[in-house]
Amino acid sequence: MSMKLYSKVAASNIKKNARLYIPRILAEAGLLGCFYIMITLALDKKLAEAFGGAYLSVFMVIGAVIIGLLSLILILYVNSFLMKQRKHEYGLYNVLGMEKKHVIRVLFYESFYTSCISIVIGIIFGILFYKLSSLLICKLLKGAIVTGFYYINAGTIVLPVIAFMALDGLAYIINSFSIRLLKPVELLAGQHTGEREPKIKWVLFVLGILCLGAGYVIAITVKSPLSAMGMFFAAVFLVIFGTYFLFVAGTIFILKCLRSNKKYYYNKNHMPAVSGLLFRMKRNAVGLASIAILATGVLVMISTTVSLYSGIEDSLKWQYPREMYFNASEVNDDISAPIPAEKLEKIVRDVADEKGIEIKTVERQSNLYVSYIYRDERLYDKTEIMGGYKPEEMTGVLYITSDLYNFAQNREEASTRQKLDLDKDEIAFCRIATPAGGMFKKLPETLTVGGKEYKVKEYLERFPIEAGMGQLVNTIGIVVSDEQVLDEIYRAQKAAYGEYASEYDDRIAVSFVDEKAVSAVGDEFTDEITNRLRTEYPGEIEYLLDTKWDTAESFLGLYGNFLFLGILLGFVCMFSAVLIIYYKQISEGYEDRDRFQIMEKIGMEQREVRKTIGSQLIMQFFLPLITAGVHTAFAFPILSKLLKVLMLSNTGLFIICTVITFVVFAIAYGIIYMMTARTYYRIVH
Amino acid sequence: MELLKVTDLKKIYTSRLGAAQVEALKSVTFSVENGEYVAIMGESGSGKTTLLNILAALDKPTSGKVILDGKELATVKENTLAAFRRNNLGFVFQEFNLLDTFTLKDNILLPLVLSGVSVREMEGRLEPIAVSLGIKDLLKKYPYEVSGGQKQRAAVARALITNPRIILADEPTGALDSASSNDLLRVFEQVNKAGQTILMVTHSVDAASHANRIMFIRDGVVFHQIYRGESTNEELYKKISDTLTMLRTGGDRQ
Repeated sequence: MSMKLYSKVAASNIKKNARLYIPRILAEAGLLGCFYIMITLALDKKLAEAFGGAYLSVFMVIGAVIIGLLSLILILYVNSFLMKQRKHEYGLYNVLGMEKKHVIRVLFYESFYTSCISIVIGIIFGILFYKLSSLLICKLLKGAIVTGFYYINAGTIVLPVIAFMALDGLAYIINSFSIRLLKPVELLAGQHTGEREPKIKWVLFVLGILCLGAGYVIAITVKSPLSAMGMFFAAVFLVIFGTYFLFVAGTIFILKCLRSNKKYYYNKNHMPAVSGLLFRMKRNAVGLASIAILATGVLVMISTTVSLYSGIEDSLKWQYPREMYFNASEVNDDISAPIPAEKLEKIVRDVADEKGIEIKTVERQSNLYVSYIYRDERLYDKTEIMGGYKPEEMTGVLYITSDLYNFAQNREEASTRQKLDLDKDEIAFCRIATPAGGMFKKLPETLTVGGKEYKVKEYLERFPIEAGMGQLVNTIGIVVSDEQVLDEIYRAQKAAYGEYASEYDDRIAVSFVDEKAVSAVGDEFTDEITNRLRTEYPGEIEYLLDTKWDTAESFLGLYGNFLFLGILLGFVCMFSAVLIIYYKQISEGYEDRDRFQIMEKIGMEQREVRKTIGSQLIMQFFLPLITAGVHTAFAFPILSKLLKVLMLSNTGLFIICTVITFVVFAIAYGIIYMMTARTYYRIVH
Repeated sequence: MELLKVTDLKKIYTSRLGAAQVEALKSVTFSVENGEYVAIMGESGSGKTTLLNILAALDKPTSGKVILDGKELATVKENTLAAFRRNNLGFVFQEFNLLDTFTLKDNILLPLVLSGVSVREMEGRLEPIAVSLGIKDLLKKYPYEVSGGQKQRAAVARALITNPRIILADEPTGALDSASSNDLLRVFEQVNKAGQTILMVTHSVDAASHANRIMFIRDGVVFHQIYRGESTNEELYKKISDTLTMLRTGGDRQ
């Protein structure tokens, strides 16, 4: 036979099986397009320059790797499905006299054509959407739109093409092996050998309940944001395994329970669907579980990234009650001596005057921040504790003197102004933040630090200084009577922690009348301050000049990229779920056709058949969606703790984002359901 | 009493473009008495499947009437047709048509479930039928776990459970070996003796020789009939064979 004939047969085969091949081609094209976009964004120098793009390329490379892996799994899955559907046809060729090597040659042309079409469409898709994506990124990063760049690079095209060619090649090799193993007689003998009734796998069932339960319990009960980070992945894995186990064993358990309830089962609306699903679940449970997990992934990814992004303002407000923080110290022979706050304030005021910037307030915020373990009204340093401690026992303490406190009170309204007068063994106590919960529900009456007991004289509602770690660990503020007491505490922790001990933070916090105007001057202002500092202290110095506007920029860079990645990966996950659903429905449609024909012969009405099909489809379709919803709901507590690590503490915003994401996802899912159901009906009838 | 009356039935199939017309049934007229066991024989293309489809209300005749128990099939409304079939007709097919996701019991009960019968009544009806067909111990099994003959018995049970006016059987022995065939034919005889009317379409002389009356269809008309009278199955077998030979050698109507 000539090559031409093979290629002709292959082309007509693809055309005949368009219902199977078109989604496969579109899927590969879509994945390739996303892959192309990620790779190109990672390599786009103009874009990187525009946004100081360190994050950009790192994030996009991560994204490309994830999409690559997903493509591998998905294309092989679709391929195995296609092969199953077409085995009969290949067997027939073999029976009709084609040798297996000829069949494989036909297969080669089929693979070659589909691969070429997919890749070409994918690249076109990628190039078209690249522009859109880069515009989206510009928008998300709130930068000016970088005009005129339309980045097409041979290098960025070659890499995706080679990667996906390799993928298709792999699929072809697998298929040619399976043709070699094909026994045509068995295929022609008819596929309806009947399946064994699925048994309930009790071990799996119990294991599934345990895994899922454990995952949920972890997610709900995690107290501190810090332990949330470690536990999150444990919870994720437990839930994933639990989902798979329960879909495999639990669905069969429930269906069998339904079947043994005679009143429920012997009803024309229930009987065909329940028994149909019972057999179906045996093969489909894994697919449905995958859909559920992918859907959960979409929900979690998009809702967290959207929350992070839209919560930037909030995080900034939390972290930066003032716009600028400034501290500095001179370093002599490895000993650093803080530069007094008055000096720093003078420099800032001078520079501000020159630049015409109006300062609202300058506060001195000398303080000492030390971390302890809190247990029974006593603060232990970590060396004093034998054995482990719970994350919620970790406590950060912010010390100030009553002088500073009283000074800060001058800013307050006269009516709420409260001055402190403390003896040396007295302190004032303030619960600044308890993100880890648990501790400090009951306020201590005395507090022992460094072996010395202090009496708590006052409980303060508000503390004049912000705590940097206040979102992660429980943080309290303590006002001591004077510098001498503070120094005792300083020396005690110095002795305990050695080189890891905390140092005094002699900083000033500055707020401006017109925040926007200052951030517009930005670097120019801060550079001048540091210049001035260097001229006044020509020796070795350390300084920290922390501004709200700088952090805002890096937040935008980080979370903007996060969001973009979340959207693109969410899209790809969704895409994968759709593809799995589509192919499942088609393969089931072909199987169900015979069943429904028999039922019609026996006297089932057409509309009853349609109703049965409908209820079976809905159960299969919406089980994963509901599962995803429940998973996301249970993941909520741990996710909101995790977001606190990333400095987002607005739970309300997160709830709104999650709900919106779920609704949008459910609508998209519903549309896909309707489209798939139509194809399914058409096959069945 | 006359149960089924077929008068001057005609069926013409028109090809899609209307160019070629095929006359599947020219003019078929016959009647079936209550409690009769009738076999219809004919070669492939003689029109027997078309006839059966029309009797089963799966197809509509071009002209002519089918009256079942005093009710004309053409007057049954489209949306009650499925229920009409379910309540009045029982079907036994060559390929059994059992659902492999149901146990035999569920397969048998399916028509009753579709009619919305209560669970207690279903089980009450199932018991005697399962006992008389000898499949009581197999009810919990799935179709793939039992033999062809047992499957066909289950299919017969499914046809009987609605107490139909008439059982329409389409080549019921076609997929069975000879032992299972004999077995099934004995079941039919036994069911018929209990008063059930049966109309069976078949190729098999052996199957037909168990009936009380055999109708031969050729070229869309009822060509010939044989009544059992006092003949034994063996004698009837001989008569049928002779008739078929005569038909094949092109003899005219006797």
